[in-house]
Amino acid sequence: MEGHIVRTFDGDILNLRMQVLQMGGLAIDQVQRAVQALTRGDDDGARDVISRNSQVVAYARAIEEDIVGLIARRQPVASDLKAVLTVGRVATDLERVGNAARKICKLALELDRGRDGAPLQRFYSDVRKMSRLALAMLRDALDCFDRVDLEGALKVVHRDAEVDSEFQLALRELVTYVMEDQRHLGSTIQTVFVLKALERVGDHARNIAAVVPKFARRDVAAAESAVMAAPKRSESGANTAG
Amino acid sequence: MATTGDNIPISAPRAAVTAALDLSRPGAALETKTVGQVTVANPVVSARNVNVYYGEKHAIHDVSLDIGRNAVIALIGPSGCGKSTFLRCINRMNDTIDSARITGTITLDGTDIYDKREDVVQLRAQVGMVFQKPNPFPKSIYENIAYGPRIHGLVANRADLDEVVQTSLQKAGLWEEVKDRLDHSGTSLSGGQQQRLCIARAIAVDPEVILMDEPCSALDPIATARIEDLIDELRQNYTIVIVTHNMQQAARVSQRTAYFHLGDLIEVGPTDQIFTNPGHKLTEDYITGRFG
Repeated sequence: MEGHIVRTFDGDILNLRMQVLQMGGLAIDQVQRAVQALTRGDDDGARDVISRNSQVVAYARAIEEDIVGLIARRQPVASDLKAVLTVGRVATDLERVGNAARKICKLALELDRGRDGAPLQRFYSDVRKMSRLALAMLRDALDCFDRVDLEGALKVVHRDAEVDSEFQLALRELVTYVMEDQRHLGSTIQTVFVLKALERVGDHARNIAAVVPKFARRDVAAAESAVMAAPKRSESGANTAG
Repeated sequence: MATTGDNIPISAPRAAVTAALDLSRPGAALETKTVGQVTVANPVVSARNVNVYYGEKHAIHDVSLDIGRNAVIALIGPSGCGKSTFLRCINRMNDTIDSARITGTITLDGTDIYDKREDVVQLRAQVGMVFQKPNPFPKSIYENIAYGPRIHGLVANRADLDEVVQTSLQKAGLWEEVKDRLDHSGTSLSGGQQQRLCIARAIAVDPEVILMDEPCSALDPIATARIEDLIDELRQNYTIVIVTHNMQQAARVSQRTAYFHLGDLIEVGPTDQIFTNPGHKLTEDYITGRFG
């Protein structure tokens, strides 16, 4: 973006974006560690991830405060206002990614105490695959956010369907599994929650990619329309459900 | 130079721009390249292809703009962009400058204000003006208000004049503060009160349009807030054209905003749209503080 006459304004916006990228790195690491803790049965690792979620939340609050301060001091309008508000939306999505990692770890700790035998190991490959897809999406979404890469953002948005599709496939397998042996119903439901949390990470990555055009100036607003018009998760998932 | 054509931003409502440029429409004798809808239904003031020259300097280039009734339109733009010059065309204040020459037409309720038969004194009663610096007459508060109605013969007797003074001061939100000292000098009031006195003075001759040229630039934030509140009340009965360098003020008080740049009217549109989705890059650069 071209610079403001008041250069410190550019500094404020840059600082906000840097904070979001740092928060994104932390959120990605949290999900990676959560999946590792789950698949390796590492309870200490799971507890570390839960404990470290407060850092993700702290980033979100700091960004929120900086946004309020920037609006109060600079009174941004038009593309600046949209960009500042968009940073807040990205931070909210990243906070929810952090929540997803915490949820996976809580489920991991509960699964290890399972009384009816955990079916989860059977589905570790699905968990790993979904985690790879969702985290790759999230990395690319943040990269596009950093570089204001509209073309890349559009590709990320479309990739959400891939994660959704993996989730539906795993869901069908789990349904078949529980139909064969209903003693595993409880742990199967917990497994669904793990997979759903990863699927939500993909959704948040999609959301982040979808707001990238807000950082572009007006002359690329058509790209925003293209990104926004991309099929939503619920639409793409509807055909493969059940 | 204002541009449309291939330079219309993708996000601009191209249909609206095209409509504004559609010369085939009846009564739309426009030759403007302004982005946005320059025409409004039933305008009180209608400017068409207005050019202003100060000697050799071409200060305003072919500006066409309608000003709607009972609304506030803000004219914004960097210094020297022609916004004040355009404002001063509406009550022929530029006539006082020897080197000024104006072409094009400006109508008030359909009457050409630059027609040779037009009475300029009467025009300035219909189109009042409030300036950057409060300029009360060095007379009593009462006489500041009474002067206009008296010389224009708008009142028959003292009782009528008293009523006009009271009503004008009430409309300007000043009555309660000065009703017990109407005989005090207008210049004894605070800056904000003096500006409201000037607004009351303009209202007293029952104008249709009030022109305001940076009316709050000499006032503190509290006095500014009172004037802005007053502007919002006044628009129920008057049309207000305000020139301001304070973009937040333009956003707060106006329903339409027009952006001028180097003598061109670049863009005009609903204020909400101008400050969220401006249609022209120059407008965006100016309101976001990127304009060099």
